Amino acid sequence: MFEGCTIKYNKSPMTGKNCSIQVTYPADSDGTVKSLSVPMKPDNTDYQEILEWVDAGNTIEEAD
Amino acid sequence: MSQTKVEAPFVANNFAHFKNLVINGDFRVFQRASGSTAIGNGTYSTADRYKTQFSNDGAGTTQQYTMTDADRATTGHSFAWQWDVTTADTSLAAGQLAYFRHFIEAQNCSGLAYGSSAAKTLTLSFWVKSSKTGTYCCTIEKHDSTTYNLPLEYTISSADTWEFKTLVVSPTAGSTSLITGSGGDIAQDNGKGITLYWWLAAGSDYTGGTNNTWTSNTNHLATTNQVNWLDSTSNDWFITGIQFEIGDQATDFEHLPFDVQLQRCMRYYQKIADASHGGAGDAISGGTHYSGTAVYLTTIFHVPMRAEPSMAVSGGTNYFIRYSNGGNDQFDSLAIDDSASPHLFEFFASSGQNHSGGTAGHGCFIRTNNSAAKVAADAEL
Repeated sequence: MFEGCTIKYNKSPMTGKNCSIQVTYPADSDGTVKSLSVPMKPDNTDYQEILEWVDAGNTIEEAD
Repeated sequence: MSQTKVEAPFVANNFAHFKNLVINGDFRVFQRASGSTAIGNGTYSTADRYKTQFSNDGAGTTQQYTMTDADRATTGHSFAWQWDVTTADTSLAAGQLAYFRHFIEAQNCSGLAYGSSAAKTLTLSFWVKSSKTGTYCCTIEKHDSTTYNLPLEYTISSADTWEFKTLVVSPTAGSTSLITGSGGDIAQDNGKGITLYWWLAAGSDYTGGTNNTWTSNTNHLATTNQVNWLDSTSNDWFITGIQFEIGDQATDFEHLPFDVQLQRCMRYYQKIADASHGGAGDAISGGTHYSGTAVYLTTIFHVPMRAEPSMAVSGGTNYFIRYSNGGNDQFDSLAIDDSASPHLFEFFASSGQNHSGGTAGHGCFIRTNNSAAKVAADAEL
């Protein structure tokens, strides 16, 4: 799950608070970078998997 | 007032609509990619609504397969899903596997009466073809309350030949009462209700199941008879015409109009922009400069989604462009704000996406700026 990905919060330009989580996959050979911008909503299965990843001892990076 | 007589067969047939609990069972919808694509582990790479799990020492691809006239004459279908081994794994470790899953939303399972003495018998049917003969496994996994699994074997008897398989799913298979008891309940919500598995290879961690017997062991998903389809780069595998319905026999496949099938898929995944179709310059959305650095945009979904979706972006250096006030700025990606909804995205490009320039209050619009740029909403199960 999330092998080679960077996982960090996005900060809302409007509120300055964490607003979503950005999962960024390793770049393809042509330079394309796939990413998921994940809402912190319990019904979202990407968010569910991120919470499992955190429960396994990993940490979401803070936003830049 | 005139009245129109409605013939009985028409009325009866109406009640049979949407009998198939599987979406995209005829493999016509491939929103992400239809060409040969590497099989991912825990990803939706090609066919809509089918998630691949691929953890082994081999490699493979999937793609949409266009049927020949002979294929169509045999199966009645125009497309299939094709799997190919590109790197073999002849000796699976205990924890290694290859399978794909189709998730059925819980609230679409309300007619099954699972969790009661009236739980229905179901039938899973499909067409399959492979160069690798032998015994394969499917799994029926019931979610909510307690998770229960039912391994079901089927046999591919003749190499490279379409065969129609029918698997009856009894709620008391193996003389069990798991599904008819209270632990068999499926919640009436937008989570997972039933998951269907098709195994292509299973390490010993997963082969403790007994054919046609419900179990509460969450690792007993397949049986020891499962072949290792990964054992040769000559192996291929095709499937189409998947139908999962109430009853103890397979009935004719329910062919839905393409637009209906596409909209059913779009509840779980829908494209916002895909520059690969017409080159760079696909419109994405219009919005406003919230500040000199950040632009905010909204996109209303074509179909309300199952849940608040993730935004899936294929980006990169200058893959997107924003126009406003007679000028433009190229940037790399997009992100969603915390006002996510099943009905629309509110999203932004700011310094974190390498966006800059502009004047607060100015209107703007954004487009793709690279033929590989894509934006989609993903609310898969």
